[in-house]
Amino acid sequence: MTLAYGRELIATRELLLNLTMREVKGQYRRTVLGQLWSIINPIATMIVYTLVFSFLLRVPPPPGDPSGLDVYALWLMCGLLPWTYFTRVVNGGVASITANAGLITKVYFPRMHLPLSVTLSTAITFGVELGVLTIALWIVGGFPLPWLPLVLVAIVILAMFGTGLAMMLAIVNVHFRDTQHFVGILLPMWMFLTPILYPLSLVEEAAGREGAWVLTVFQLNPMLHIVELFRALLYDNALPTALEWLAAIGSASIVFALGYLVFARYERRLAELL
Amino acid sequence: MSAAGAASGDAAVVVDAVSKKFRLFHERNQTLKSAVMRGRRIVADDFWAVRDVSFEVPHGATFGLIGRNGSGKSTLLKMLARIYQPDSGRVVLHGRVSSMLEVGSGFHPELSGRENIYLNGSILGLTRKQVAARFDSIVDFSGVETFIDQPVKNYSSGMYVRLGFAVAVHTEPDILIVDEILAVGDGAFREKSRKKFLEFTGEGRTVILVSHALSEITAMCQQVAWMHEGRLRALGPTDDVVAAYTASIADESS
Repeated sequence: MTLAYGRELIATRELLLNLTMREVKGQYRRTVLGQLWSIINPIATMIVYTLVFSFLLRVPPPPGDPSGLDVYALWLMCGLLPWTYFTRVVNGGVASITANAGLITKVYFPRMHLPLSVTLSTAITFGVELGVLTIALWIVGGFPLPWLPLVLVAIVILAMFGTGLAMMLAIVNVHFRDTQHFVGILLPMWMFLTPILYPLSLVEEAAGREGAWVLTVFQLNPMLHIVELFRALLYDNALPTALEWLAAIGSASIVFALGYLVFARYERRLAELL
Repeated sequence: MSAAGAASGDAAVVVDAVSKKFRLFHERNQTLKSAVMRGRRIVADDFWAVRDVSFEVPHGATFGLIGRNGSGKSTLLKMLARIYQPDSGRVVLHGRVSSMLEVGSGFHPELSGRENIYLNGSILGLTRKQVAARFDSIVDFSGVETFIDQPVKNYSSGMYVRLGFAVAVHTEPDILIVDEILAVGDGAFREKSRKKFLEFTGEGRTVILVSHALSEITAMCQQVAWMHEGRLRALGPTDDVVAAYTASIADESS
């Protein structure tokens, strides 16, 4: 049954493309700055976080090894941009079913295209942001270009993890509309528990004081490993360890497979629940 | 009149003992709090919107569904369109199905008419190539040439539905499922869509249509099913069933 669903998805892939274009084209229509908004937003966030965490709280990110970079703002963005993409995929994917209720109750098509189109359309914004970041890293003396193919792999891992989660939660959200509000609270908390604004070395220090369990708990978080991939490749210009790859790929595959199965199983009842 | 159709090889649509129930929650409150407060008690009644309905529609036929509001016509139609899944029984469709339950589903108000034709076409199951091949014909049918590159939010409601309708009739499915949308546009446009439907059936395509306009049903359908409180009340040639239905309405209102 799930295999047949996969074939149907592939057969209707043009619809996915069109739904993605609908999101992309519709998003910034009638704004003066247009697609520039997708750059302004992260830059504004970067300024605020840098002010608070680097200037006031003096959080020390370790210098990039071997890149030698030591710029908090850029170190921050190497983790914050993937995280922002993740939240867009999850929030958008969860809401995609209820937001398209009119479509779902009137036409049949594989509904998985809706969360998938959110993943793809927000990936375009993410790509533009990463492009700007890559140029900035290059200007300050980094050497990010040779690592871009592996960054692409990391993007796929991140997209799979976010989409899997979004698909599961989208189904739950149709039954309990509380879900999207929960997600709205949970994601910022999750961000603060992932070493994005502060380096993992601070967690290691805490583990030294309080016991090794602190580090273990942090490392149970799949997003820690996925974010580390981006940091290692873009900021450090180093190959992430095999263990990091394994943790990231493993958790992303499991979450995506679960999301796919749950969604494929329950999508036929969506129309009557909306 | 019997509700069971004889099994035949040339049926385009087979509806076999189909039932659909909905749960009626006394308090339709979809929050976690209400679920927790309810505890394990399920405060819901089953409501059978469609119960044990069977019929067949032969290839190339135009088949009508009539009945009063709430008789289960639309639920049945949505099962034929694969939007709902039957709780029991099965629906077998031989051929490519397209449904017109609402025109302009999925139109994005900020996108132009042109972009929306491609978007809507792919929602209805057409490939980009197929839409491109029919593009001129769609625009011509809709009569919105001048505004085709304007965002559809600037369209009048008439233009909006005409464009949606034009895309839908150009999907050229084997089986077309239509709900109450022939009443779209002005007199001239309605005449055009009627002609298009006759063309459709002339090409051997199957049409299933729900309508409250009995004159339309009589003019277009060979066979009619009369739904009453979720069950099939009558099935047969249009004139007989429509006459029985009209008589029953007259009975009740007198």
